[in-house]
Amino acid sequence: MNTSTANPWAKWQESLVTESFAYARRMAQLPSLHHRAQLVKKGASPSTVVYEEDRLKLLHYPGTQPPRHATPLVIVFALVNRPYILDLKKGRSVVNHFVERGFDTYLIDWGSPTYADRHLTIDDHVNGYISNVVDFVRERAGAPQASLLGYCMGGTMSTMFTALHQERVKNLMLLATGIDFFTRDGLLNLWSRPEYFDVDKFVEAFGNCPAEFLQMSFLMLKPVQNLLEKPLNFFEKADDPQAVDDFLTMETWLNDNISVPGEVYREFVKYLFQQNLLVQNKMPVGKHTVDLRKITCPVLNIMAKADDLVPCAQSMPLNDLVSSQDRKSIAIDAGHIGLAIGGKAQRDVWPHACDWLAERS
Amino acid sequence: MNEEQDGTNHQAGQWMAFQQIWGETFTKMMQLGCTFSPDSAPPDFMRQMRSGIFQGLGQSWEQFLSSPEFMEGMKQSMNSAIALRKMTNDMFSKVRHETHAVSRDDIDAVMLTVRHMETRVLDRIDELAARLEEVTGHLSGNGPPSAAAAQHEPTPKPQANKTAGNNPTSRS
Repeated sequence: MNTSTANPWAKWQESLVTESFAYARRMAQLPSLHHRAQLVKKGASPSTVVYEEDRLKLLHYPGTQPPRHATPLVIVFALVNRPYILDLKKGRSVVNHFVERGFDTYLIDWGSPTYADRHLTIDDHVNGYISNVVDFVRERAGAPQASLLGYCMGGTMSTMFTALHQERVKNLMLLATGIDFFTRDGLLNLWSRPEYFDVDKFVEAFGNCPAEFLQMSFLMLKPVQNLLEKPLNFFEKADDPQAVDDFLTMETWLNDNISVPGEVYREFVKYLFQQNLLVQNKMPVGKHTVDLRKITCPVLNIMAKADDLVPCAQSMPLNDLVSSQDRKSIAIDAGHIGLAIGGKAQRDVWPHACDWLAERS
Repeated sequence: MNEEQDGTNHQAGQWMAFQQIWGETFTKMMQLGCTFSPDSAPPDFMRQMRSGIFQGLGQSWEQFLSSPEFMEGMKQSMNSAIALRKMTNDMFSKVRHETHAVSRDDIDAVMLTVRHMETRVLDRIDELAARLEEVTGHLSGNGPPSAAAAQHEPTPKPQANKTAGNNPTSRS
């Protein structure tokens, strides 16, 4: 006799028992989580600090073989969060892709700004720090130019640097980079509208933009997903060591926030989010004005279709605004962070980006 | 009177938005409940139900977070946070001044003075560099470089392992 005919709820009873045991197994794992979180390593590939300026550290990834390409690569990370997301762990490292392919790879770690850094501007970062780093790297590698890879806010600054100093940049690669801020796709764009957010008063009162404020804003972009769905999904995999390791590594990075220098924050909000000056070629950086038409080098613009922080529509217009003949866009089904460390990006995007850069270095 | 009415309308608007969120969530749950049968495995069914709830909640929250009611609420809370922070800053500054200690405002003033001095010095160096280039051009018989090129060429000399203080070597 068929069991399901005899007792239609047999399947339910069986599942209930299995799930109860699984639940107990998962609960047993929870007390050790804190200890395991302390053991998470920040950065996977071996690196050395080759240049320091104020709080900035330039990391060099030597690799096992000498560089095969003449042009060094400088990765410019955002001023929000730490740069080790690009070298998170083995098999999830953007840096490792480039090192393995024989690129002389450098990564800018901006460090954590103190109250004294509140007056640092975009000009200080673009025409000061990035400029000095690029010159140092060129001199060290004996190359006339360097390639830049900018992520998020670091991408916007790399774009500004390239427009102002095109002669020093061989290739420009951008990852989830905001360029046109008047898109209605993102909540951040709405929240930072001048009628709702007075950035001058905010910076005047707080000095630097507090890390907790930024973290809360990012969480609120997808509150249900971040505050409810994510912990529950994690609990369901709490008895899978690999999933736990992935989760803890990711969470360690997500909660490792740093504040943004007040003036940089003010300029970003005012000139980009509120006035959208970059696409109008009116963005002031110190004494200069950024004109995107001055970018003539090859450009690779990588975007994520499910990015709620920098929607595709924000990055897409760049390729039409530069004068480069050699320009390409790639959009994949991923989120803002998945674009760097997600399985699909690691499998499809980064090997392709390495090929693209190798042909031009 | 008008302000009072505006306040009431604003609260009513927010209340309506919240009602909408929960209304949509429960509708979604009820819809999923209709698919309930002994054949569906409990974990799958629960996951499906949970995902439906979260999807519904997520969509409604997204709508709410971009609604004028939320934006107005956010503006008010930001203004309060800024006012509170200013009040604390002022209070601490006063206490520090009364005790003849250094306050953040004093540090700010010093930092700004240093930055202005730095800007002036760097501007002067840029000018001198441009003039030097012009003179070098004349001497070598190539003629002066263009003004635009001179303005764009304050290529700084990198200083490796420079760790002292907040003193960027070159700006603009």
